[in-house]
Amino acid sequence: MADGITRVAVPETAAKGEIIEIKALASHPMDNGFMFRDNGTRIPRWIIHRFEVDYNDELIFAADWHVAISANPYISFHTIATESGTINFRWFDDNGDIYTESAKITVV
Amino acid sequence: MRALLISIFGMCMLATAAAADETAPANLANACAGCHGTDGKSPGQIPMIAGMAAADLAAELRQFKNDQKAATVMNRIAKGYTEAEIDAIANYFGGM
Amino acid sequence: MARTSSSGSSRRDVLKLAGLATAAGFGVRPAFSQSPGHVVVVGGGFGGATAAKYLRRAGVDVTLIETNATFATCPFSNTVLGGINEIDAITHGYDGLAAHGVQVVPDTVTGINAANKSVSLQGGTAVSYDRLILSPGIDFKWGEIEGYDEAAAEVMPHAWKAGAQTELLRRQLIAMDDGGVVAIAAPGNPFRCPPGPYERASLIAHYLKTHKPASKVLILDSKDSFSKQGLFQAGWAELYGDMIEWVPFSSGGNVARVDPATMTVYTDFDTHVVNVANIIPAQRSNRLVDTADLANGGDWCPINQLTFESTVQPGIHILGDASIAGAMPKSGFSANAQAKVCAAAIAALLRGDEPPSPSFINTCYSLVGPDYGISVAAVYRLNAEGAIAGVEGAGGVSPGDANAEFRKMEAEYARGWYASITSDMFG
Repeated sequence: MADGITRVAVPETAAKGEIIEIKALASHPMDNGFMFRDNGTRIPRWIIHRFEVDYNDELIFAADWHVAISANPYISFHTIATESGTINFRWFDDNGDIYTESAKITVV
Repeated sequence: MRALLISIFGMCMLATAAAADETAPANLANACAGCHGTDGKSPGQIPMIAGMAAADLAAELRQFKNDQKAATVMNRIAKGYTEAEIDAIANYFGGM
Repeated sequence: MARTSSSGSSRRDVLKLAGLATAAGFGVRPAFSQSPGHVVVVGGGFGGATAAKYLRRAGVDVTLIETNATFATCPFSNTVLGGINEIDAITHGYDGLAAHGVQVVPDTVTGINAANKSVSLQGGTAVSYDRLILSPGIDFKWGEIEGYDEAAAEVMPHAWKAGAQTELLRRQLIAMDDGGVVAIAAPGNPFRCPPGPYERASLIAHYLKTHKPASKVLILDSKDSFSKQGLFQAGWAELYGDMIEWVPFSSGGNVARVDPATMTVYTDFDTHVVNVANIIPAQRSNRLVDTADLANGGDWCPINQLTFESTVQPGIHILGDASIAGAMPKSGFSANAQAKVCAAAIAALLRGDEPPSPSFINTCYSLVGPDYGISVAAVYRLNAEGAIAGVEGAGGVSPGDANAEFRKMEAEYARGWYASITSDMFG
């Protein structure tokens, strides 16, 4: 990806059963394919079309994105802290690239 | 007092006449006061409009509008007015 | 009856005046001559002060109700932070308006009774009106940034209402050691004075460069772009090197939480411990408008953009930052321009005439440094849908390739603008 920046925020610790907020941000142009350069050539569609989150290898959140999503997509959602472990994030873009992040959470 | 009454009456006539479709001269001119001071009387570094002859003011506004005279913001602002509005503004200040 | 003024009025004068104004509601006119009616203006800032003066010029009786005896302007308050001006230089009284025949009432409006056409005052009285103008400005959405409330603002000032908050932030800048970090949290749109946070960063950097050159200004932004961005960023590089760092939303700049006890600012993804924190929170119209439900459940008040009359309550006009004025930004210049159009409309309506068609200008000057000014200007009219819209082909920002002389001239004109607009309001 152009800037290669993905960021995630997950609480380092949480009580078992607590509702936690998870945030994820990707720097991506999200070119919608309808724009033209100054020389008249079309800027091809290039978007992140899918975003997935696993909590200890179980898919807990997924979203299919389309051309109306603006640049630098930011998403936040809530889940329940069930057990200590790893939360993995994956962004899939039109070029076949997959960007990943992971974060640890300790549930007490 | 008599002159004052006549001038107030004159302004009312202007405003009423303009209400139909074109912008009232006072509304056009009052917007200028934000930078040039009330009635064009600038107390600071912005050029004074008050006391200018209508013909001179109209000519200068046209030069700004057509980029024939360089300025900082006035080229950008003068482009927002029609020929008739420039005359209305100039006549408003020139007639004060 | 003696004219009241902010400096000379006693409580007794105020009550006497309020009594007269209330009597007016029962058909007994005070001894004003030839006025087509009585307008109460609430708020003595850019919108209210200007409206009061221009209504008097149109021969209308005006009562201006303002809590404070003086008004410190948000425009040019950044020059106080930069050590260029003292607060006195941006503080204005109401004697000039009193001299125009405006009845200046130092009190606070606590309620609006639209059905009775009166406002109630903290002092216990009520004032009747034929038409009411509210120019009440903004309030903050406390709590939208977790941990940021009125108490937190005494440690991490917003300084987005000029006066004591400006002086507090100035004192903190003076007290800070060299090498410190000054964080500025900039809110999402819409908010009062779109270029303001960035002019503030500039003039704080001007002060730091002179007195504490190892320090930094960190702008944590809830947006990915801002007003006059290219001009500001070029000016920053030219005048301040890398002293100012801007973190846009897409790089995690959005401030989510603050902890004043530890001077910590938390963005969505990062933690910054800073020396001075200027937190500019999200904004809405002043909560006074809620007493008559004028924001209609939203943050800002919908109006008829020809007359500035509320679309919720007839007879009440709303100016400036609190209103939804089409494409116009929330600026002091906008409020001043709107006030003159509104005053002309009200004078016409009170006389039974059609309101004249409006025209507006907004020019926002920003100082990147004391001799480095930039501007954005626009001319506005009503479009076919009755909304205020910019005139195509006019307006825009200062040229990107202008020379130092041009920037210096715009800084001079910024100072000239301030002298002119404050005389247009208060003189």
